[in-house]
Amino acid sequence: MQLTKKSAPIRRQLAAAALTLLGISLAHAEPTSADRHGGLAPLQIDPSLLGPGAAPRQAPTEDAGVSMPPARSRFNVEDLAAADAPWRVDTGFLYYKEGDGRIQTKEAVINVKRGFSDDSKLSLKLTVDTLTGGSPNGALPSKSVQTFSTPSGTTLQATPATSTPTTPQTYTTASGSVVQVGGNGSASHSTVYSVAPGALPIDKTFQDERIALSLGREQVLGSSNRLSYGGAFSHELDFMSASGNAAIAHDFNDKNTTLSAGVNLETDSIRPIGGAPVAWSEYGQFLKQGNKSKRVEDLLLGLTQIMNRRWITQLNYSIDASNGYQNDPYKILSVLDSQGNPLGYDYENRPEHRVRRSLYWDNKFALNRDTFQVSFRHMSDDWGITSQTADFHYRWMFADNSYLEPHLRRYTQSAANFYRLFLIQGDPAQTYASADPRLAAFDASTVGLKFGVPMGAGSEFSVRVERYLQKGRQAPSIPAQLQGLDLYPGLRAWIVQGGLSASF
Amino acid sequence: MPTNPRDSNGEPSIRVESRAGGIHAVLFFAMASPCEVLLEIDDARAALEIGGIAAAEARRIEAKFSRYRIDSVLSRINRSGGKAVAVDAEMLALLDFARQCHELSDGLFDVTSGILRRVWKFDGSDRIPCEQDVRALLPCIGLEKIRWGDGTVSVPPGMEIDLGGIAKEYAVDRAVQLARKHCAYPLLVNFGGDLRVGAPPTQGAWEIGVERPDSDRQAILVLEMEQGALATSGDTHRFLLRDGIRYGHILDPRTGWPVRDAPRSVTVAAGTCVEAGMLATIALLQGNQAQAFLENAGVRYWCLK
Repeated sequence: MQLTKKSAPIRRQLAAAALTLLGISLAHAEPTSADRHGGLAPLQIDPSLLGPGAAPRQAPTEDAGVSMPPARSRFNVEDLAAADAPWRVDTGFLYYKEGDGRIQTKEAVINVKRGFSDDSKLSLKLTVDTLTGGSPNGALPSKSVQTFSTPSGTTLQATPATSTPTTPQTYTTASGSVVQVGGNGSASHSTVYSVAPGALPIDKTFQDERIALSLGREQVLGSSNRLSYGGAFSHELDFMSASGNAAIAHDFNDKNTTLSAGVNLETDSIRPIGGAPVAWSEYGQFLKQGNKSKRVEDLLLGLTQIMNRRWITQLNYSIDASNGYQNDPYKILSVLDSQGNPLGYDYENRPEHRVRRSLYWDNKFALNRDTFQVSFRHMSDDWGITSQTADFHYRWMFADNSYLEPHLRRYTQSAANFYRLFLIQGDPAQTYASADPRLAAFDASTVGLKFGVPMGAGSEFSVRVERYLQKGRQAPSIPAQLQGLDLYPGLRAWIVQGGLSASF
Repeated sequence: MPTNPRDSNGEPSIRVESRAGGIHAVLFFAMASPCEVLLEIDDARAALEIGGIAAAEARRIEAKFSRYRIDSVLSRINRSGGKAVAVDAEMLALLDFARQCHELSDGLFDVTSGILRRVWKFDGSDRIPCEQDVRALLPCIGLEKIRWGDGTVSVPPGMEIDLGGIAKEYAVDRAVQLARKHCAYPLLVNFGGDLRVGAPPTQGAWEIGVERPDSDRQAILVLEMEQGALATSGDTHRFLLRDGIRYGHILDPRTGWPVRDAPRSVTVAAGTCVEAGMLATIALLQGNQAQAFLENAGVRYWCLK
C-alpha cells in the first residue's frame, strides 16, 4: 500500500517543515511591543493589591522615608515588565479637603519608571501640591472673641478678651472671619484674624506650595540580591528637605523569603515665615530667632515570606531618630487663669530629640479572583506616643478586570506626655508643652472605595473616594469658663483621587 | 460561532484564575476559541503578564491571518483580484508550510478549499448542498494555482486562502516560544484544544483530558504530558446530519464533499503544535484509513470513532 510507504517520511518532513516555519517566523516576524499589547486588557496591575508574590509597595511606616526593594515571588514580574514594556507612567491627582474650612490640598503626581535589560530600574517622581485653608493654631476656644495674627506679623496687640463672656465684640461678624489689615505699619505683611466665641481658633491663612522630586535606582547583584538607592528633594515656602537612601534585599529559600535592610538620611531646613518663634515666648511679643534645622536617621529591617500561593506576609521593623527643631513654629497654647479665662498665648516647645520604633505586619491574600490585604502597625516613641493602625483592603474583581475596592482603616494613638490642652497661669513651669492636636490622644477611622477600570493597551484608570473622621479622646478636668465648649472638635476630611497608569 | 466577549471599553477580556496545585490559568477568547495559559506560578500578576503575552500573540496572528476579518493581511490578499500583493516573510513562511503539507498529503490538505464553506454550512441542520453547486467551486480550489515568492503573493480571482487549519496551532507554538523567552516556569498553552507544553510542572506532568465528542468538558481519557504538543481535529462540534448520515466538516478538496467514515476526532502528539495539528488533519482527511495512516506514521495518537 502506497500509504504505508509514504507515512513514515511524512512525519519527519512535517516536523522539519514545522521547525522551518517556526524558525523563520521568529527571525522575521517578531511582534512589536505595540502588537503585543494591542487590543489587550492591561498587563499592568497595581502590584500592591494583587495576590501573593506581588510586590508590597507600602512604606513600612507612614513617615519613614526608606523605600524597600519589593519582595519577589519565584518569578520576577519586574524583569518581564522591563523587557516587555520598559516604561511605566503613573499619574494621579488628589484632592483633600477638611471640614469647617480647614486644610485643602490639591496634589498632582507623576511617576515615571523605566526598566532596563540588565534588570535595573530607574524611577523618577515629581509631586506638586498646593495647600490652602486653616489649621488649628493650638489656642482653645473661648467664650469671648480671640484675635490672632499670622506668623509674618512682627507686632500685635494680642487681645484676649476677658471681659463680659458671651458678648461678642462688635467687629466680629462671623466665626473665624479673616480681616485683612493693610497699611498698618509694622503689621503690613501680616493678617489679623479674629475668632468668635466658642469657635476653635483656626488660622485660615495657610497657603503653601510644595514641589518634591525623588529619584531612585534599583540594581540586581547576582541572582539573589538587589540594591536600591536614591535621593529626594522637597521644597516649600518655609521648609526644605533633602534625603538619601540605600537598601539591600536578599532572596533565599527559593526566593520565597526576602530579607532586607535599608537606611535613610534626611536633613531639613525649617524657615518659618517671620522666623522661628522663641519657645515659651508670649505670642504677642513676636520674639523670633531665624531659621532652624533637623536631621533624621532611619533604619529599616524587613522580612517577606511567601507562606503559600495564596498568602504573602511581610514584617518590617523600623527605628528612626530625629534631632533638631521639632516644634511647629505656628502652634501656640492658651494660657488660662484658674477659672479658664484666656490670659494670653505662649509658643509651644517640644524636645529636640525623638526616637520612634515601629513594627508593621502586612498580609496579602489571593482568593480565586479577588484579593485582600490586612495590615497592622504598632508605633511607639520616646515622647510617650503609641499608636496602632489596622488597615483592610478588599479588591473585588469583575470579569472585565475592572474592580471595586473597599478600604477600612482604624487608627488610635495616645498623647505625647507633654501634650497640654492649655496652660494654667501659676502652675509649675514645664520644659515642654504643645497643644498640637496631632500629639493628642485620638481615634480615627477611614472608609473608602476605589474603582479601577482597564483602559486597554496596558493602562488603567482609577478613582478613589475616602472619608476620614478623627475624634479626640482628651478628657481633662475643665475649668469652669470652658464648660460647654467643644475643646476638641476633631477632624473630618474627604479624599478624592483620580489616577491613570500606563505601560509601554 | 461564539462571539468574542468584550469589556465595557470594547477591549477583549483576559482574566486570571487560581487553580489547584499552585496553578494560575489565564483565560481569554481568541480565534473563535476559548484559550488558556496554565502557569505554575505563585503570583497572579506574573501569570497575567505571561498569559498576556500569549494572548497578544494569539490576537496578533488572528488579526493578521484570519479570513473572517476584512482588515487582515490575508483578506487583503484574498481581495486582490489576482494582482501581486506584497507580504512579509511570516506570510510567505506559512504559505511555504501549507505547500509542503499539500504535497505531503497528495493534495488532501489544501488551504484554498475554504470556499467550499460557501455551500457547506455546518450548522447541525440537514441542508446538504446540491452536486452542481459543489462542482462549480472546484475550479477555484488548488494551491498549485496560487503563486508566491519574492515578497509577493497572487491569488487568482474567485480563489481564497484560508489558513484556519494552521493558524491556531502556529499561534500555540509562537505563544510558547515567546513565553519561554520570558520565563522558565511550568507552562502550558492551550488554544481551543491545540496545546503545547512550555515546561513541565515541578512535580509530575500536565494532565490533559481528551474531550468526549459532543460533550462539554467530559474527558474520556486523561493524558499526562511533560513535553511536546497535542492537537485535535475532528467534527466534534460541526457537522450536518441527513438521513442518518453524519457529514463532518472535514471536506475533501478534490471532490468538494466531506470525507466519509472519518473518525469523530483524532488527537496527535508531536514535538510542535503545527506538526501535531497537521498530522491530525491529514489523518482525518484519510477517512476510514485515518488509523492506518497514524499507525504507519509512527506517532502517538488517540482516535475517537
